[in-house]
Amino acid sequence: MATAQELRAKAKQRQIMIQSALIVFSLTILWVAVSNAQSNLTRLNMTSGFAFLDRGTGWDYSFSLIDRDINDRYSYTLFVGFLNTVFVGFICIVTTTFFGFIIGTLRDAQHPALRFAANVYVQIFRNIPLILQAVFLYALLIHLGGPRQAISIADVAFLSGRGMMLPGLNISATVAISLVLASILFGIVLLCTKITMWRGLLVWCCGSVLVALVVALIVKPAGESVFSVPVLQGLRFQGGINLPIELLAMILSITLYGSAYIAEIVRGGLNQVPRGLVEAGQALGLTRMSIWTRIKVPMALRSIIPPLGNQWIFMMKATTIGIAIGFSDLFYITVTSISQSGQTLELIMLLMLTFLAINYAIALFTNWLNTRMKLKEN
Amino acid sequence: MVGTAMPPQSQFEVARARFKKNAFGTPVATAISIVVFTGLAYVLWNFLNWAVFQAVWSKENVDMCDAHSGGACWSVIDARYRLILFGTYPFDEQWRSITAAIVIVLTVIASCFPAMWQAKRLSLLWVAGFVGYYLLMEGSLIGFERVTTDGWGGLSLTLFLFAAVVLLGMPMGLGFALMRRSEMPVVRWFAVIFIDTLRSLPLVTTLFTAAVVVPLFLPDWLVGDKIWRVIVGFALFFAAYQAEVFRGGFQAIPKGQLEAGKALGINYWSIMGRIILPQVFRHALPSTINMVVVTFKETAIVTIIGFFDILASGKVAFGAPEWSPYYIEVFFFVAAIYWVFIFSLGQYGEYLKRRMALASH
Amino acid sequence: MKNLFAASAMAAVSIFTPQLAAAQSTTVQQIMDRGSMLCSGHNGSYFGFVEVNDQNEWKGLDIDLCRALTTAILGDPDANQIVPLSWAQRFPALQSGDVDIIIKATGWTMGRDTELGLQFSLPYFFGGAQIMTHGDLGITDATGLVGGTVCVEAGTTIERLVANYLKTIDVEHTMVSYESAAELRSAYLANRCDAFAAWGPSLAVLRATELDNPDAHVILSDQLSSEPISAAMRQGDEGFVDTVNWAIAALLIAEEEGITSANVEDMAATPPNPRVARLLGVEPGMGERLGMRDTWAREMIAAVGNFGEIYDRNLGKDSPYNLERGLNNLWSHGGVLYAPILD
Repeated sequence: MATAQELRAKAKQRQIMIQSALIVFSLTILWVAVSNAQSNLTRLNMTSGFAFLDRGTGWDYSFSLIDRDINDRYSYTLFVGFLNTVFVGFICIVTTTFFGFIIGTLRDAQHPALRFAANVYVQIFRNIPLILQAVFLYALLIHLGGPRQAISIADVAFLSGRGMMLPGLNISATVAISLVLASILFGIVLLCTKITMWRGLLVWCCGSVLVALVVALIVKPAGESVFSVPVLQGLRFQGGINLPIELLAMILSITLYGSAYIAEIVRGGLNQVPRGLVEAGQALGLTRMSIWTRIKVPMALRSIIPPLGNQWIFMMKATTIGIAIGFSDLFYITVTSISQSGQTLELIMLLMLTFLAINYAIALFTNWLNTRMKLKEN
Repeated sequence: MVGTAMPPQSQFEVARARFKKNAFGTPVATAISIVVFTGLAYVLWNFLNWAVFQAVWSKENVDMCDAHSGGACWSVIDARYRLILFGTYPFDEQWRSITAAIVIVLTVIASCFPAMWQAKRLSLLWVAGFVGYYLLMEGSLIGFERVTTDGWGGLSLTLFLFAAVVLLGMPMGLGFALMRRSEMPVVRWFAVIFIDTLRSLPLVTTLFTAAVVVPLFLPDWLVGDKIWRVIVGFALFFAAYQAEVFRGGFQAIPKGQLEAGKALGINYWSIMGRIILPQVFRHALPSTINMVVVTFKETAIVTIIGFFDILASGKVAFGAPEWSPYYIEVFFFVAAIYWVFIFSLGQYGEYLKRRMALASH
Repeated sequence: MKNLFAASAMAAVSIFTPQLAAAQSTTVQQIMDRGSMLCSGHNGSYFGFVEVNDQNEWKGLDIDLCRALTTAILGDPDANQIVPLSWAQRFPALQSGDVDIIIKATGWTMGRDTELGLQFSLPYFFGGAQIMTHGDLGITDATGLVGGTVCVEAGTTIERLVANYLKTIDVEHTMVSYESAAELRSAYLANRCDAFAAWGPSLAVLRATELDNPDAHVILSDQLSSEPISAAMRQGDEGFVDTVNWAIAALLIAEEEGITSANVEDMAATPPNPRVARLLGVEPGMGERLGMRDTWAREMIAAVGNFGEIYDRNLGKDSPYNLERGLNNLWSHGGVLYAPILD
């Protein structure tokens, strides 16, 4: 008859056995995979290593935030892809969250017509695959026609099958990017202070616009206006800000799809706010708007933020549909690099590491947001 | 009538009264109702006008399409629907493809009945459905002409990927979930790393890796068909998400049950199989259905790595010169097919969630 | 006990490690064991070369070459599987063994030949990159494209050629690239781009399909390159390369000698000269030297015809595209195609 101690010791031993077996198993798999890869590479006579990153690519792509040239090195081109992915992902996170909150609130509204319309929207856009929506929307957009048939909005903005031309400040791309970065930094600083959400937003928007205007006034070339308005010249518009149609299709389709998802998350969160609190607000004579901003949203946020963070990560990953519509996101650049350079393993590894890093950063941010919300409770 | 405050007769009347109060109670509410409903009606009317009243329906009348610029040209669907639904499957054998697709749809419908909700019955049903599909599509084992997976396409391929991924991914997901709850730190960390990594990678990266990169790591005899590698990659992705769904189910169960079972001297697998897992499945059911719906939607991604799924075959359908102006019709057709599948599964999930919420009160 | 465990672990590991190159069977052997040949298709249609017809069958010049090869190796033109691949996937797919050979309008480049570990066959086609624009723009050569948008296919040699060319002649432009021919084509037709840069023959095919309005599209006068198009195989299997080369050669020789799918049996019955007799396997030599049947070329020509027939059926006068043969004619008819010497 074994004593309890012996049994416990036995169980412990078994646990150690299982765990070491798992470790040995994973290491073996790893070793087998690596040795196979090595021998396959030699057998197929393929070169490996990261030397190709220093070579020029020789090809061009549809969209870049920073200057580009066909002689750029692979490392630089991949970095452009990374920037594009982060850029589109960030914009989509902002737009989907914004529209998601509006539609989610409408779905929770008392008014049946608003609820119905929001429901129709959610049911349509949530139940069709994102990539199909993107491809469909892209096909519709490019059929808008060339620059000469562009739809003019008050003669300062134009929409055509090539993209959207908007009036902008008369500054170079580098200055523009530094301004955006400065604005983001400003936003982060504001987040760290104790300023309330709505006032913070106001300060951030006004501050950013003001700084941009002042900078534009200082750096503008002598004799030119502060604003640059697109003008049709030859085959394309010149001046202003050019948003290629691929970028528009990406942002629009991800926004349509993602905001339907976030609307559901928001509705779920709002639903969980105890009725009594809302009624208390009504008894105090608060308007609907203040009940929403001061009671419902702050209370709902705590249950909204964790799934919202997952949705944000999804947005980042969703940028990989760019390849289906010719938008040069990181995945597209990686795939093209693979077929042009043949360095499959190295490029896929870089791609995966980058996505892990981006998503880890988002997860950290949501955790931080979550704890901040929780602290406020006390 | 005013002031007598008659108690409403039925639920319907209560609802009607509330609708009336909320939609037309105040001038603002009335204005909103009018604007929204007119807007929706306008959109619906224009859509119907395009899709039904002004539309050209048969492929013989295709020359009417240009004259009728205000309507849809469904001739393209009439002429190319076989390509969209079956891809490059041999023309004369396409009855097999449609039967196989029906088998999968029936399997999904059958698993919606509560009578099937036992691990044994469900797995039997899915294995049977899947095997039935495979035998019909492949053909050589039951005496038809052999069609290799390269020839599978369209809706049938989409359904195949979906069924294979769910069938493979479900047990893997359960395995990951159990590993993640393990008392052994190495096992737990193994699961955590695996799940979190897969969840942070875009699906298309996982699939691209499975299709293109993995063969370099495998010995020749294990490389197999591209479609199976992609299915395994997809199933791992599914499993990583499903493991989290199961984890939610585990968390709903008091820890005491496992300890009580252990105190009674029942071994781990019996406690799991007989006591814990049935409860976990029940708790996780709505989220599992949600996951299944998401998986069906995500199968559309395989078009990027060169499979002939329904989206790709749809694109080919309007790729021919004479059909290229009618891309909208083809996209609508494909989107409608997806929508019907996903919407009905999703509604079923909602219904279950409501039913279970009622049951737990 | 421990030894047993170690031994079985070693055995398990050894199964998973790669076999030595010497032990590996040749591609031809693998094809014969499998009973079918794996060829590259396209994710969509690449008109004239790889396309899907209304009966959901693959057809085109490249597909016919695959069928010819399949007949040569296995004796049955239908014993092949066409694996749909995008441009970007074709080389990884070949390296991983998803296909045996790439016959997909693929140009022979130094990078592919050396760094990607590929081996190229005799060129079976010549075509250069060209640029097509919408006729209403009134452009005749590439210098008119200043400020325009040019669409190309991602991951192709054309992509680099066009970028390089336009930079050389200093034409500032925007480039948009797509993963599949169908997407590129519909983007151009939707006027997403002013110009469509592609391989000359496929541009001509595209233009021919716009028959309603032949002037709607103009192919610019600039000849960006002339590329030799070859079949690509994995390196290190000389036997397979020989097989492919001689299959292509046999198709060319058959055309030179006037052997067609219609008259091949008559020719075999009464060969007009020793070269024909050897080609059709009436005299031995054709098969043995490649380790195949003596009659492989005869079966191949009976199944798919000679090179001229393949061309005419898919691109030339019997196709909707009606392309001139031009460079892709036999050397004796003003083209640049010729076969090595059959001795």
